[in-house]
Amino acid sequence: MTTDDTCSTLPPESQKSFDNLLCLDINIHYENFRLALKQDIPLTGITGIFGHSGSGKSTLLRAIAGLEPKTQGQITLANKPLLNSNGALVLKSEQRGVGLVFQNSRLFPHLSVMKNLNFASKRCKNSTLTLNEIIELTGLTPLLNTPVTALSGGQQQRVALARAILAEPQLLLLDEPLSALDQQSKAQLLNLITTIQQRLSLPILYVSHSLDELQQVCDNLLVLTNNTAIMTKKSANEHSAFFGNIHHMIHQLTQRQYQAIDSTVQGNIIQPQTSLALPILSTNNGHGLAVISLQKQQILLPSSQLVFAEKITAERLVGQPLRCFILASDISICLTEPHNSSIVNQLQGTINNIKKDNTKVLLSIDCDAQEFFVSISAYSQNKLALKQGQSVFLQFKASAVRTFLN
Amino acid sequence: MQNPDLQALITTLQMAGLTTVILLILGTPLAWYLAKMTSRFKVVIEAVVALPLVLPPTVLGFYLLIAFSPEYLPGQLWQQATGQQLAFSFSAIVIGSVLYSLPFVVQPLQKAFEQLGDNLLEAGAVLGAGPFDRFFHIVLPLTKASFITAASLGFAHTVGEFGVILMIGGNIPGETRVLSIALFDHVEAFDYAKAHLLAISLLISSMILLSAVYLINLPKKHRNVNSVGADK
Repeated sequence: MTTDDTCSTLPPESQKSFDNLLCLDINIHYENFRLALKQDIPLTGITGIFGHSGSGKSTLLRAIAGLEPKTQGQITLANKPLLNSNGALVLKSEQRGVGLVFQNSRLFPHLSVMKNLNFASKRCKNSTLTLNEIIELTGLTPLLNTPVTALSGGQQQRVALARAILAEPQLLLLDEPLSALDQQSKAQLLNLITTIQQRLSLPILYVSHSLDELQQVCDNLLVLTNNTAIMTKKSANEHSAFFGNIHHMIHQLTQRQYQAIDSTVQGNIIQPQTSLALPILSTNNGHGLAVISLQKQQILLPSSQLVFAEKITAERLVGQPLRCFILASDISICLTEPHNSSIVNQLQGTINNIKKDNTKVLLSIDCDAQEFFVSISAYSQNKLALKQGQSVFLQFKASAVRTFLN
Repeated sequence: MQNPDLQALITTLQMAGLTTVILLILGTPLAWYLAKMTSRFKVVIEAVVALPLVLPPTVLGFYLLIAFSPEYLPGQLWQQATGQQLAFSFSAIVIGSVLYSLPFVVQPLQKAFEQLGDNLLEAGAVLGAGPFDRFFHIVLPLTKASFITAASLGFAHTVGEFGVILMIGGNIPGETRVLSIALFDHVEAFDYAKAHLLAISLLISSMILLSAVYLINLPKKHRNVNSVGADK
């Protein structure tokens, strides 16, 4: 059970290992709203926070940033206590070393772009980042003297992001940063967020109601539902089940759709799907299709789906992992190898598991050690009489392989 | 020998200037507190602040006259502290003016603070700005026009005060004899030529001041604050 403990409950000598953790044990109570959460989050990479509206995603970020005065409990960031209601410690927002980018950039309208950035860098005590470095990284050079009110939504968010980074936080929180943007600006900003995370090794918590978005950039995922994080339920298994690797979590959520036993999962929180991160073999096979590889088999998808990483040349994309997903409803099953089909993707695999709902069946299929989810009707299941351990062929169109751009 | 009207003008400017400074110092935190307040008592405080707008100045003047007299505690304390009587002094008319002009300073500021909201202040806080830092570098620049409005209205209203001053200040040249009182004196003495001169100069200077206030508030009215900082 030691892995379950938060750092606050441990003796000081064993706190070394929590250098790299955000420890949350909080309770926020309003008239019609309650968020109770106990979770340690590793301070590495990008952690997505997912859940439908009203699940408390934004409130959680605001609590970490010190903007929710009614927060009870404990928050510890890399051994630095931010909140401890027992010890009556409440660190003010300006002392937490936590950056927050809001949904609506919240730039200071009386200052130019440059002065908005200066506002942050002037108040930063460490100043290991140079202003110019960040301006270049975020591509703001041509906009520096523009009044912020003249910027487009995407430009505003880039300034907000640069401004947040220049305060040199230990942890950066992003609250639906793309929600007000058009599709192209979304892709650009998402790309920028990944670049920033990697260049500065800045841990990021990323709140969104869009799983596509999170699937593209997050390493880990925390799922909140029904005002209470699922994993705060008693058992340790459930605890670990709702925080973890992004692909794993998406698969967990997909499976949960077919076991309506858990009342904390309300309705269809996601579309059942297979989440993949596979190396790119070729960006264009000459027919406008890109190729990504499983161990022995290959998957084809439209090259246009790769536009996401637009700044990188095609050659440099080869070997890089591509994050994509395939909806379970977009894959069909064939008992024999289909030879005469326009459908380009045909994978051989073994049925691992069969989950039944009233009208639908979810198959979990192992193809080269990668788990795929296929949803078929109960009618088809009857007809084909699929069994666990059976070898089958999966079929899906190239266009069924989607990235965030879709 | 100094022109008595010129002396009245100087007294008026001193009184109004000092009153405006005191009002900005006291009124700003009060307006801030009211803008952020959610308690039920907010309406009570707001009503008290707004009272001078509807109360006949003589009512306020009457109660102040009693309070400032040496028989009552405020007057007594003042006399002990300064050795001078409070009623019928320059200090009395400044205190009276502060109370009388309070809503003209507090209300525009409160409205501006409410309109500004918390969004940009939260953004400032997560960037490492403390409360005073946020006030001077976010609130003040964004509510500058309202501060100018508040100061101008407070000043102009104090210059135009009559009833309260007559009650608690009387008519002591160089001490409590302000322009409005001087004008009244000229009329009483049937010196209409001098009365005209004072009246028209007060009218024109008030007109100029108010036009300037409206001009300042005209062009951009914080339109930008809302478009960038507004929530959802």
